[in-house]
Formats: sequence, C-alpha cells, structure tokens
Amino acid sequence: MSVHSALQELARYRSQNKRASQETLEKGILVLKKNGHKKMGDESWDLLEQLALAAIDVGRLDVADQCLKQLSDKFPQSPRVDCLRGIRMEASAPPEDALRYYDELLEADAINVAIWKRKIVLLRRTGQVEKAVVELSQYLDTFYTDVEGWLELADIYASCNQYEYSLQALSHTLLLVPQNPVYVLQSAETAYTAGDLPLSLKMFLTVVDMSDNDDSGSFAESTPLGITVRAWYGVKLCTDRMSRDARVATMSASSTLPPKDIDLVNELATERLRVAYSSAGQKGDMACGRDVVFRWVACP
Amino acid sequence: MSNSPPTLYLDPQIRDWVLFPITFVMILVGLLRHYVVILLQSPPKKLSRAGIREQRALVRSQVLRATSARSPIPPAHYKALSQHLIDSYEAGTYLKDGPPKNDAPSSPPNPLTDPAAMDSMMAGMKTQMVMMVPQMIMMGWINFFFQGFVLIKLPFPLTLGFKSMLQRGIETPDMHVRWVSSLSWYFLNFFGLNGLYRLLLGGDNSADSSRDMMTTPFASMGAAQLGQPQDFAKLFKAERDNLEFSEGLYTWIGEDIDSKVLRKYGKLSPRSD
Repeated sequence: MSVHSALQELARYRSQNKRASQETLEKGILVLKKNGHKKMGDESWDLLEQLALAAIDVGRLDVADQCLKQLSDKFPQSPRVDCLRGIRMEASAPPEDALRYYDELLEADAINVAIWKRKIVLLRRTGQVEKAVVELSQYLDTFYTDVEGWLELADIYASCNQYEYSLQALSHTLLLVPQNPVYVLQSAETAYTAGDLPLSLKMFLTVVDMSDNDDSGSFAESTPLGITVRAWYGVKLCTDRMSRDARVATMSASSTLPPKDIDLVNELATERLRVAYSSAGQKGDMACGRDVVFRWVACP
Repeated sequence: MSNSPPTLYLDPQIRDWVLFPITFVMILVGLLRHYVVILLQSPPKKLSRAGIREQRALVRSQVLRATSARSPIPPAHYKALSQHLIDSYEAGTYLKDGPPKNDAPSSPPNPLTDPAAMDSMMAGMKTQMVMMVPQMIMMGWINFFFQGFVLIKLPFPLTLGFKSMLQRGIETPDMHVRWVSSLSWYFLNFFGLNGLYRLLLGGDNSADSSRDMMTTPFASMGAAQLGQPQDFAKLFKAERDNLEFSEGLYTWIGEDIDSKVLRKYGKLSPRSD
C-alpha cells in the first residue's frame, strides 16, 4: 500500500468518523515512516491526532508519543493537544495523576468541555460514581443540550439500580430529541424496570406508533419490523402483568392511568408478534425461535 | 468658452498623474484598513462557567416549551420540570452572580461600569476609528493637491443639482455636469472598489466601505446593545410567564395512545367523528 492511498483511506475514515483503530494504525505507521504527512499541510495535524488516538486504542503507546510530540511542538498551548495528552496519560499513568492533570486544566479554564467530559468519564471508570454523578449533573446544568451527556447520566443511574432517576434523565433526552423512537424505547424499558407499568405500556405503544409506518395498505395486514417488534414484546409483557395483578396496574409513580381496553391491547400484541415471526425470511425459511415465541405468547 | 461635451480636451498628463494615482492609493488604503482591523481585533472574551450557564439557562425552558403541545413526557414529569424552572427563574438561581441577596432591585448592568461591556464597546469604537480616519485623510489629501481642475467626464448624465458637489473648486456656471473634479472621482472609487475588495480579500473584508455607511449612524445604539445586552433577570421573568402559558397548552402524546393504536390496527372501530 502506497503512502498516497494510505493517506486517502485515513482521510476517508476521518470524514466518516470511523474508528477502525488497527487499520488506522497500520496505515498511519506507514505514513509516519515515510514522513508522508509533512506534505499534507494543515490536514497533517488532524491525521496525527487520529493516529495518536488509534495507537492508544491498540496499545502502541510509542507511536502515540511520537504523534503527541509533533503536535505539541506545533501547538504548544492548545486545549485540543492537552486533551490528547490527558488521554495518553490515562493509558499508562495511575488514574489519580490523570485526574490531577485534568483538575489543573479545569482550574485554568473552567469551561473546557472536552476536559470536563474526560474527567467525568475517568471518575466513572475508577468507580467514584457519586463524584461522577455530581460532576455530570453540574456539566448538564451548564450545557443542557448535550444529549449524550443525559444518556450517560441515565446509564450511570441505571447501573446503580436507581431507575427513577434514570427515567428523569431520559425524560430530558426525550425533550431534546423527541423524534427518536430508540430513546422512547429506552425510557419505556427503564419505566418497566422501575415498576411504573402503566407509563411503560403507554411508552411502548408510543414507540409502535412512531416506528411502524407502513404506507401500503392497512396496518392490520403489515408485518412489524425492527424496533417495532421489541416494542410489541414490551406491550405484551406489560399487559400480561397488568391483567394478572390489578394492584400493579394502578400503582404508578407518575400517576399514569392504565388503559381502558387492556385485554384488547393484549390480544393485539399477541397477534402482532405472531405475524412478526410468521413472515418468511429472505431465503424462504421461517424465523428461528418461532415456536418459542408462539408458545410464550400463548401462555406467558 | 467650449461647453459642448465632445470638444473639451483634457491633458493626458491629468490622466497619468491624477486618475491612476488616486485609484491606486485608494486600493492600497483599503487593503491596509483590512489588515489593520484584523490585527486590532482582540480575541473574544471568554465567559466563566457561571456566565455560560446564565446565557444558556433560557434554552432549558425553550426546549420544554417547544414540544409542549405534543409532549413526549407524562404530565407528572412535565409539571415537575415546569414548576422547578419557574421557581428557579423566580429566585434567580441561574443568574451569573447568584440569586439577588436582598430586596434591592437588580438593575441591568451599566455599560460604563461593567468591564466586559466596556471592552466590547472599545473594540467596536476602535474598528470604526480605523475606518473613518483613512477616509478623512484621503479627502483632505485630494482636496489639497488635486483641486481646481476637471478630471474626467462621467459616462452617464446627471442633473444640475450635482454641479455644486462634483465641480467644487471649478467656478464655471455653464460647464456640463458630466465634467467633474477629482473629489468626485474619489467618491466614485469609494463606492466602486467594493467589488474589487471582495475579489481580492474575500467576502467578509473590512475594507468594504458600504459597511461603514451602514454602521456609523447606528454606532452608538449598536454599542449599547452589543456591549451588555440582556438583562437576564428580566428575561427570566418573561420566560416564567411563557412557561405558565405553556402549561396550559400541554398535552401528552401518550394520553390516549392505547385507543389510537387499537384503532390503527383495527381492533377498535374507528371513531365516528
């Protein structure tokens, strides 16, 4: 592989935001050996950053150090290079050192978003979850529109089994990105785990409504695909539990009322799941697991 | 006295020594202005964490209100969020300096005393100085050296009203208005070189004189607005009212979703209305 084609491939990875670290490293080493990046002008710095990250991913810290040295020579006070240096530090030094480094940087410039985020991630990774939550909450208080931040917060809460708080974080996500059914599905499942079944049922139905768009013919004859199937599973689970146990149906932390025709919903879910697993696949086979599903929906 | 346009004959030396030099000098001055403005621009002031938080605090309620009519979150959550934001705005917890400590009414930061505002006002005034000073110098220079003779004949006719302005220094009542002095050549260049600057320096250049014309009259107002624009306390109070209004508009999309889905899949008969 020539240097020129390697450079092209790496540029393509950059534009597609692809993180194929092993390939990046191989191509990057080739370029570095022949100093091909020097001729690229301004893009060479992007390349060095990409290569440094790939090298740290794979464990080749020597290559990362090379790139980092070239970058810091060129851009001495850059916050971006500082962030890279912090990542490199996290790879080899004990976490307290990296944490101290981040704290210093944040004292100098309190709104360095990249460093703040890395600090939060480091806190979570080393198990200091309460501090991570406090920092993340402060971060989200300042930068409200960071959807990934809210998702991370929800994830942290869920990992500590605090599903109500997780649901609250997810509701901010829903406000920010209301048109994404995946987040609604995540909220529905979190609500189910938190014990709020009526809310969970309504959210699963919302996912079905959002994601099932079959323009041809009627909905009753269409086959559910993809995320809709998972939502129908959720609906079936909720309605089964709610019809078995009336107490669960009325006990909702968010004071959501149970649906009026719960048996009809249960029937519909059963039917939709059967249809989902009845359609012939690409090679004409029946869906695997079909029997299991049929048995389950018949007597859960 | 020859006053018919075709017969007035100008010394070609006028063309060599006045026409081209004026244009050349104006182009150079324009380029100089552009680079001086770039050098004078100080980097934008960085806000503190509290400052950014204050600036973005309004976004929270705007995000909440944007989907209020078909909201993805259930009523209990919506009301909790809405109430929390209303209380925070009321108490001023998002303000940069914290909630007002006593009953003293919070006044909008005075531009003269707030250092951040002062800096941005000074920056604006500096750029305007750079724009205006070369213009005045050039006009003075042209008036001093190139006065009292006719320079060019305009290719387009003008009314008599322009005679006094364009033929300043040449007291001839009968000469056609199309013959003009060098000051008018200056004005022509002034407006005409914008195209050339755009070609040489790219679209957003500071040598563009048309921008001076537009900004100068509004300098004082603009500076006052850009310097320390928003009084966040008042904005928060206004947003509070908006939130209360939106609470009235709120509906949850999950409210009757079970009936909707049942109807969609034919389990329930469609509504008659």
